Amino acid sequence: MQLAFINSFSSEWLKKKRTASSWLVIIGGLFIPVILLIARFVNSERLYSQVIQPHFWEKQVNQGWQFMAIFLLPMGVILASSLITQLEFRNNTWKQLHATPQSFPVIYFTKLSLILVMLLQFFLLFNAGMIITALLPSLVMPGVPMPYEAFPVLYFLKVSAYFFICCLPIVGLQYLLSLHFKNFLLPLGAGIALLVASLIAVQWKYGYTIPYTYCMMQFIQGKTTWNGYNIHLFALGYFVMFTVAGYIIYTRKKIKG
Amino acid sequence: MHYAVETEHLTHRFSEKETVLHNIALQVPQGSIYGFLGPNGAGKTTTLKLLLGLLRKQSGTIRLLNHPFETHRIELLRQVGSLIESPSIYAQLTAHENLDVFRRIYNCPASRIPEVLQLVGLSDTGKKHAGRFSLGMKQRLGIAIALLHNPALLILDEPTNGLDPNGIIEMRELLRRINHEKGITILVSSHLLAEIEKLVTHLGIIHQGRMVFQGTLEELMQKQQQAAFVRFETSDTSRVLQLAAVHHIPACIENNGAVLELADRETIALLNRELVAAGIGVYSITAGKNDLESVFMNLTSV
Repeated sequence: MQLAFINSFSSEWLKKKRTASSWLVIIGGLFIPVILLIARFVNSERLYSQVIQPHFWEKQVNQGWQFMAIFLLPMGVILASSLITQLEFRNNTWKQLHATPQSFPVIYFTKLSLILVMLLQFFLLFNAGMIITALLPSLVMPGVPMPYEAFPVLYFLKVSAYFFICCLPIVGLQYLLSLHFKNFLLPLGAGIALLVASLIAVQWKYGYTIPYTYCMMQFIQGKTTWNGYNIHLFALGYFVMFTVAGYIIYTRKKIKG
Repeated sequence: MHYAVETEHLTHRFSEKETVLHNIALQVPQGSIYGFLGPNGAGKTTTLKLLLGLLRKQSGTIRLLNHPFETHRIELLRQVGSLIESPSIYAQLTAHENLDVFRRIYNCPASRIPEVLQLVGLSDTGKKHAGRFSLGMKQRLGIAIALLHNPALLILDEPTNGLDPNGIIEMRELLRRINHEKGITILVSSHLLAEIEKLVTHLGIIHQGRMVFQGTLEELMQKQQQAAFVRFETSDTSRVLQLAAVHHIPACIENNGAVLELADRETIALLNRELVAAGIGVYSITAGKNDLESVFMNLTSV
């Protein structure tokens, strides 16, 4: 089973080569850092005061998440999750995949794992981009010192881990929808509709029940709880629920190609 | 006899009112090239999809390579190569990368990729993306994917679809070669008898979800002989029937003419002489089409 999963994952990894989803991860991960880097060079006169400020790194990473968390991250997750399964529909390859010697759990969880690894890749690129954005002006511009404070590795990891957990319900539901519907516009449309609904409902007292609100709540509140509710537990619960429901729907499909 | 594919009472419904397969009993002998023939919509693809588990079986049994498919799915799929309908290839990848995607799943050596590319004549495609291939090249890449893991059984659904005459001949040669050299059993579907009659050793003919013939090519030939007939148009049809009875030839009246089940040229000449001698006007003697295609058409006509 373990070897089958590794072989299957390796196959899926190759399959996504040159696809829109793989480009989306790279471009999406580096988009905000590149914009912020350009802004730093354009407003170079403010760089000195920024670098010597206390909590420079925290401000740096929060500035990045400010643009990312509300719309770009959930939207990127919606697109990437939907595009991974779309690859099989578009190329008419489900039938060939299901005629390979793989169990249905291996096929289902390999694709899900691929989406999660791509999400990790996205976070890695984003964080690396934010660090480069912070350090590059000091390296190339005379008079701009290196940040005085030590780089807070744990803070970066903690913030990323929280946002990662907040993305999981989106991954779960988008994966479920995109496996079920051949037409790419259906999961995409449902995702965008839920995201817009979440933007409207985030301040509602029951907003924590909507699975697409957690990235926004994480950014606004910056901690685990929202009105006394643990949003990370809600996010994990929704993810497990959507994953199990998606698996049941997938395995019960009468036509597999 | 050992069968590479054996089904019993295979029945499938898409809805309460639409039964697409009725008690299909497919028997594909090991080592054979089995042509699965039928007009479009007869149930060929549905049968093949059931054999591969792409459709959930509703009733009947399926055995591949002497094992029930339901309980040995993964083990059996490891020994089966398939190409169902249009080839399944990733358009953004090269031919080599497409094969590598499946090689990683089958866990077979990397050396198999150039081997099968050579076998299907796609060695020179280099970095060209498969999405830019012609239909024939895509079809050959589909065959390469099916052959990659050295299967014992190859299931091909209309592999010559969209190929030009040269491509059809090449495909036929390729299938014959892999059957002879590697002993791979091939189950190949088609809606044109002429396309595969030179290739297959065994035939199954399906029509409206029912098997109407199954056997060797020789057995179909015998049917062809039996199906031969001659039509006499004369001034006295009843006299023709009497003469036929004298010579023990089955006959009947059809559209004011006498239709006699016979193929022997000498007997036709003898009957003609006797009719003329009896003063009956013979307007025309027409031999019915008795090629394999006509037999197929007869078997599959409503």
